[in-house]
Amino acid sequence: MKKSKYDGSFYLNPYLGGVILGTVLLLSFYISGRGLGASGAVKNTVAATVNVVAPQHVEQSAYYCQFAGGDKEPMSNWLIYEVLGVLAGAFISGIIFNRLKLKVEHSPKITSRRRLIFALGGGVLFGFGTQLARGCTSGAALSGMAVLSFGGYITMIAIFGTAFIAAWVLRKNWI
Amino acid sequence: MIGPIISSGIVSPAWDNIFAVILGMGFGFALESSGFSSSRKIIGTFFGYDFVVVKVFFTAAIVASVGLLYLSYFGLVDYSQLYIQPTFLTSAIVGGIIMGIGFAMGGFCPGTSLAAIGVGRMDGLVFFGGMFIGVFAFSESFSLFENMFYSGSQGPKMINDVFGISPELFTFFLVLAAVGMFFGAAWVQKKVKKVEY
Amino acid sequence: MERKYTILAILMIVLALGLVVLPKKKEMKETDPKALLSAVVEKSRYLSVDLVTHRIIENDPTLLLIDLRPVDQFKLFALPRAVNIQPDSLLTATTLALMNQAGKDKVLLSNSDLTSEKAWLIATRSSVTRIYVMKGGINEWFNTIIKEKPANSAASSTELDLISFRKAARQFFIGAGETASVPEKPKVKEKVQVIRKAPEASSGGGC
Repeated sequence: MKKSKYDGSFYLNPYLGGVILGTVLLLSFYISGRGLGASGAVKNTVAATVNVVAPQHVEQSAYYCQFAGGDKEPMSNWLIYEVLGVLAGAFISGIIFNRLKLKVEHSPKITSRRRLIFALGGGVLFGFGTQLARGCTSGAALSGMAVLSFGGYITMIAIFGTAFIAAWVLRKNWI
Repeated sequence: MIGPIISSGIVSPAWDNIFAVILGMGFGFALESSGFSSSRKIIGTFFGYDFVVVKVFFTAAIVASVGLLYLSYFGLVDYSQLYIQPTFLTSAIVGGIIMGIGFAMGGFCPGTSLAAIGVGRMDGLVFFGGMFIGVFAFSESFSLFENMFYSGSQGPKMINDVFGISPELFTFFLVLAAVGMFFGAAWVQKKVKKVEY
Repeated sequence: MERKYTILAILMIVLALGLVVLPKKKEMKETDPKALLSAVVEKSRYLSVDLVTHRIIENDPTLLLIDLRPVDQFKLFALPRAVNIQPDSLLTATTLALMNQAGKDKVLLSNSDLTSEKAWLIATRSSVTRIYVMKGGINEWFNTIIKEKPANSAASSTELDLISFRKAARQFFIGAGETASVPEKPKVKEKVQVIRKAPEASSGGGC
């Protein structure tokens, strides 16, 4: 536990981190009535991009037209601003705890290339899953749990339950 | 002031985006400083060498649940105005399973990948980029999944209603379960071989 | 280390237990059924359209008109300074804060009496005081105040007073010399204030 604050290996006590995260979540509900999220910003950006490239396509698509096209402004969105804030907040924390460094983090047993391929694949699956489940670990599971949403709990159990099994299958990539 | 203060019109909606940035910064700071920018630290939960995800996630969940109920009790938050995710059972489960596989492959979830990008982790950036492909793929193939997407709809259902108990009682059990999990995690972590990362 | 965590865990459990054992405030705030029954039987909650009109013209600051009709109807025509509240958002904190203002007479009105009566019952049950129903609603108001009726030759002086008051009121609302056979837009039209249940953030939903 005695790690120097300056070699990048110091982390907050996880319970303190949890209390901070929970308080931020609570404030988010108090101020805006919404929880925290991340994947919604991706959805809005994709919809906005497609809207610029092929507006007719947005009008025809049963999925895009829910939040893009017409007079809707998918880019002017709470979630986009929040994501920018997340990047800034992480950057500040990186400065304080001396963790800013461009690198690919991976297990010593695998190559960077393999790590990046798996990260990409994981991102694709996660992106797909967030749309189906209407939210990710923060938006659906964490924020959902805070307001006792049944769907939030179901999503949380499905994510962690599956990840537990899948992580053991893929354990050579990690340990 | 009765929250949520934006939808109750106490402050103008223009402040909405400013609050979004500030809250996002708090979110990003909490994630990064707890170690969520490191995929190997996150994934440690599944191998028993680092339970930071369980500890942070469930501490945040119980703090926010208990806090919201207290705010509601003292009349500071109008619970009926909060956004409660509607429940679509089938898509929540299938989507959750797909995300679980993605989680084990990529080692991140969307929020933590952003925290990783914030401190310069390229694997986080690639993961986040992958999400765009995933979202695009879903949107383009939406007609194939449309039935699943809307099936099992139960509206904004609350979990305490599933068990037929009050929100307060459910939260009490949730806290008990979380605390039990924390002590269990500490016990497992002692038994498992340490992995350097 | 262990001891610190044990203390924190106990603190969290006690906080959660506090939620369970705290008495439920909402139940205490509800009106006793017997008191409610006597309030229902009592007819003093009705205000006539003439009285309400009189108070509108007088610019009575204690008057708060709560219009329960659908938004489109409200936007088409509304009484001056009326606030539009949809029946489904009667019990939101915003509406309750509005209705719990001290020193205001809250007057409910809809097209007829039916919706107003229901809303009156719900509001009274949630311990809102000084709440009234405009008898007959907007329809009655329109028939009485706006539609011109010739004075009966056998009318008494009080009836004549009433008729001349209505005539003056009609001029207040639609201007002098005009006859109103069709519902037309009144001249007095203030800023429309609509209170609705906040739409669920479906488009921004997700995560």
